[in-house]
Amino acid sequence: MLLNSVVLVLQETLEAALLISMLLVISYQQLSRTSWLPVGLLVGVIFSLYYASQMAVVSEWFDYVGQEVVNAMLQILIVMLIVVCSWALFKSRRLITQGDPLKRNHFTDIFTFSATGAVALAITREGPEVFLYLNGFLQTSEHFQPVMIGSSIGFGIGVSIGILFFYSLLSLPDGWRLKVPVFFLALFAGNMLSQAVLQLTQADWISSARALWDSSGWLPENSIAGQLLYALVGYEATPSSFQIIAYAIGVTLVVGSAITANRIAKNV
Amino acid sequence: MLVIASLAASMYCPSMFAATPVVEIEIRDHLFFPSEVVIPANTKVKLMISNLDPTAEEFESYELNREKVINGNSKTAIFIGPLAPGEYPFFGEFYPKTALGKVVVE
Repeated sequence: MLLNSVVLVLQETLEAALLISMLLVISYQQLSRTSWLPVGLLVGVIFSLYYASQMAVVSEWFDYVGQEVVNAMLQILIVMLIVVCSWALFKSRRLITQGDPLKRNHFTDIFTFSATGAVALAITREGPEVFLYLNGFLQTSEHFQPVMIGSSIGFGIGVSIGILFFYSLLSLPDGWRLKVPVFFLALFAGNMLSQAVLQLTQADWISSARALWDSSGWLPENSIAGQLLYALVGYEATPSSFQIIAYAIGVTLVVGSAITANRIAKNV
Repeated sequence: MLVIASLAASMYCPSMFAATPVVEIEIRDHLFFPSEVVIPANTKVKLMISNLDPTAEEFESYELNREKVINGNSKTAIFIGPLAPGEYPFFGEFYPKTALGKVVVE
């Protein structure tokens, strides 16, 4: 039970931890703002607890596929907020050279608001599973101690990987400090949109397509490397063509918003 | 526009009109009943999973690419397939040592 708790909580923590690292390193380095993070974490935990408490009701929606629909909507919202983050970031950066602090503050505010929302929603999506898992052992008291210890270790490892990722991004050479985090943010958005498609396929709202490839033989999804790549770049051993299209759209939206903001701001 | 229209048409769900076979599965004492489900090849199937335990469980399968939390004393639906013949293991992520099963596609 201890090892299972470590793995389960680590899986759920990792994705949010990596997203936080990317957004935090960008806001810290490029915009000198970090105060949004505690707000995002707090709102995320509150929403997450509420979603967990309502999970039984939500699951019955739309003929018992409400959970998939709500999760897909959360994932699509996260993508939209990441796109806004990317757009506001590049607008704000452009305005440094144009010496307009008021306008720059406006775009910095948009970034921090969107980053807060993205982090809060990422926690809302992943948190309920952990709360329901822990609540089950609270009710029975069987295996409670190893589950709590394992969950704490899993949470600790997830947070540690996030911190390590943050400092790795922070220590990048000057020319890469902005490009690399935004690149990972684009992959994260692709992953979110791909997962949204998977959720809607599971709900039968999108018809099922055969897997485009099967790489489970050389890199299983449940391996440590597979799990890490899943959280970081959305690795799937058997993705469908719809998931690949969604992934490409997610990446394009983030990169496109950055390029557009850069170009438009040049002409302001 | 044509590409978008054809993509939308291919994503459109035909099971809104055709009846999808339903397979019932129960979770009791952190075990799946039945633990082996046989379904036809190349057919979409709706798994109706009832969790009769008081605690939540998570249906998970890497091979089926499916994952879903099921509250205690509640039921849920998961659509799988169309699948090629073979065996597709699944497990309960909250109790992975006991909650084990597989979908056999023939």
